[in-house]
Amino acid sequence: MNSTQSQKNDYWASALRQPRNMVARTAWIIAACGLVTVLAWPLRDALDPANIAMLYLLAVALVAMRAGKYAALTAAFLSTGLLDFFFIYPRFSFTVGDVQYVVTLVVMLAVALIVGNLTIILQRQAAEAIERERQSCALYQLASQLAGISSLDQVASATRDFLHQAQSCQSVLLMRRNDALQPVEQAYRLGSEMQSAAAFAAMQQSLTRHMQESDNYWLFLPLLGSTYVRGVLAIDFGTCSPAAINEKLALYEAIASLVAISVERLHFVEVAQRTQLQMTDERLRSAILSALSHDIRTPLTVLYGMSDTLLLAELSPAARDTVVAMREQALRLNSMVSNLLDMAKLRAGNIRLNQEWQPVEEVIGASIKLLGEALARHPVTVQLPPDMPLLKFDAVLMERVLCNLLENAAKYAPPSSAITISAQVDGNKASLSVRDSGSGFSENKLDKVFDLFERGNAESSVPGVGLGLAICRSIVEAHGGEIHASNCDGGCVTFTLPLGDPPVIETDDSDE
Amino acid sequence: MSESAAILLIEDEAQIRRFVRTALEAEGHRVLESGTLVQGMVQVHETKPQLAILDLGLPDGDGISFIRELRTQSEMPVLVLSARSAEGEKIRALDAGADDYLTKPFSIGELLARVRALLRRNKTDSAVTETSFRFGDVEVDLMRRKVTRNNRIVHLTPIEYRLLCAMLADTGKVMTYRHLLRAVWGNAHIESNHYLRIYVSHLRQKLEDDTAQPKHFLTETGVGYRFQP
Repeated sequence: MNSTQSQKNDYWASALRQPRNMVARTAWIIAACGLVTVLAWPLRDALDPANIAMLYLLAVALVAMRAGKYAALTAAFLSTGLLDFFFIYPRFSFTVGDVQYVVTLVVMLAVALIVGNLTIILQRQAAEAIERERQSCALYQLASQLAGISSLDQVASATRDFLHQAQSCQSVLLMRRNDALQPVEQAYRLGSEMQSAAAFAAMQQSLTRHMQESDNYWLFLPLLGSTYVRGVLAIDFGTCSPAAINEKLALYEAIASLVAISVERLHFVEVAQRTQLQMTDERLRSAILSALSHDIRTPLTVLYGMSDTLLLAELSPAARDTVVAMREQALRLNSMVSNLLDMAKLRAGNIRLNQEWQPVEEVIGASIKLLGEALARHPVTVQLPPDMPLLKFDAVLMERVLCNLLENAAKYAPPSSAITISAQVDGNKASLSVRDSGSGFSENKLDKVFDLFERGNAESSVPGVGLGLAICRSIVEAHGGEIHASNCDGGCVTFTLPLGDPPVIETDDSDE
Repeated sequence: MSESAAILLIEDEAQIRRFVRTALEAEGHRVLESGTLVQGMVQVHETKPQLAILDLGLPDGDGISFIRELRTQSEMPVLVLSARSAEGEKIRALDAGADDYLTKPFSIGELLARVRALLRRNKTDSAVTETSFRFGDVEVDLMRRKVTRNNRIVHLTPIEYRLLCAMLADTGKVMTYRHLLRAVWGNAHIESNHYLRIYVSHLRQKLEDDTAQPKHFLTETGVGYRFQP
């Protein structure tokens, strides 16, 4: 249907096309005016000159249709002259006998000029309508081609083929990647620095840029997406005149917006697919995590429980030491697995904080009790101001932070040296610190100890994989706080928590 | 009677059953083993054990609905073993009627202490209600509603006293926030965990030596509290 319609349009367009050359136009004028004169001559006595004037008007309209504006003007004057000369008394003279024919001649000239002009306007509008229809037909074709496309490469090649066939120009499709433009097809790229600069400017200003480079005229059209410019369509028109291109600018902009729509559609399809993949990934990951946590903890429980059971029996001192060591190793393995799993959960970002207002003293006490034997060789002192406000945090995660810090302190502090936990209010935040009297952190590693798999002292014989402090940082940062390491008579880790607005507690002060 | 009790152990891992059995038998208990919930329920009906130790991660069903079903027919103490560190699951098990929990891996000493506490508790439940409690240097006279510490009277507010009584009544058990809030404030304050925390800290200030390292009013982080005489 498209092809037959465009053929029909072509036919009309060629029928309406005006001859460009001067001789043809003159021939049209002479032929039309001459024919009317010859045909009307035999009827000169039967017809009133006013009616003959009508025949001349017809000729002017015909000339206007076929030979353009200036030919129509000429024909109007010529017809008026011919009418006066051949048909108005006295004949064969330009003098007018009867005054009323002056009116006839003047009106005829005026009408001839108007008819000529109107015909031309009508004709131009018809031509424009046909051209517009051609364009929208072409756009429709491009749109239906782009609708079924599933990759950027196909968008680029469809656009290129379309512009080449319908407009006989070359094109390059450039996509935005991290604030730079890259060609979609490696074989079709911009040739010069100037072109790249113009394309980049079009992207940044989201405005169409024109450029004349040697003989070639270029157009750079930004592909406007819903949120930002997704790329640039560069069109090389060759030696086409800028005026002709400007006339069709709307068409090229429409093409660019069609391309932009398909590029954006492809982008959102990709986003949707990626999200779905991520969700599946997430589910798989948490399934693996919980399976791991169950499957690793079961043999650990057996190991730990069995060595514990062995200790119930009478053992030689050497055997007892071995069993105690076995039990300790099982516990250490367990704490490593817990840290690894926690880190995996924190990294996956699927930890939901269960934040509640609570006294920090409680979680400090719970952490000390939980570590139990690991802290047996270190007296722990807790220093809290009496008016310490309630803080909002996830108790389980905060317990993990304190346990890791205490464990760390116990690992690096010399036996039976004290560990101090203190808390205070510091402006709009609370700061808690865990101090030991060990050798402290290496000065050049103070900032790095919270990085994953980083250890205070790499060659140290003290066991650990450097997960504990990294987890502390993740948890503290998730609460909106900060964590720092420093040295003050030993190692010291301080972390802060925002104070917020603790709820008011009404107490019943009447004594029992 | 607490020297020898019939204890039902429901756990799918044979090696865990083995060392738990060894430890419990060393204490003089009789141990009934079961690898599945279904078999466990059969043994509850047939042998009427005095205590159940239940692993929450059994392959043949949900341990929490097992506890609920068990509670419709028996008051026997249930000690839950949980491989997961998820506090939510422990709370659900406790709210369903479990009495205490142990997170894997656990030490034998801890297990035996919990079993002892639960069996003792079960015995005192059936005996005449006690009228006075002693823990540390504190004495609570329930008849006269009097609390003394080192023979000096300690003043408690009505809520503090109610909270103390609620915790004494469940000695040796883990008490969830929800359970304690309901016992002290009624159903209206079920979500006000911070009230409970504040009053527990008051009790610690009045009755503990070191509030940051309590010996009796223990915190079960994320779950609730435990009272230990």
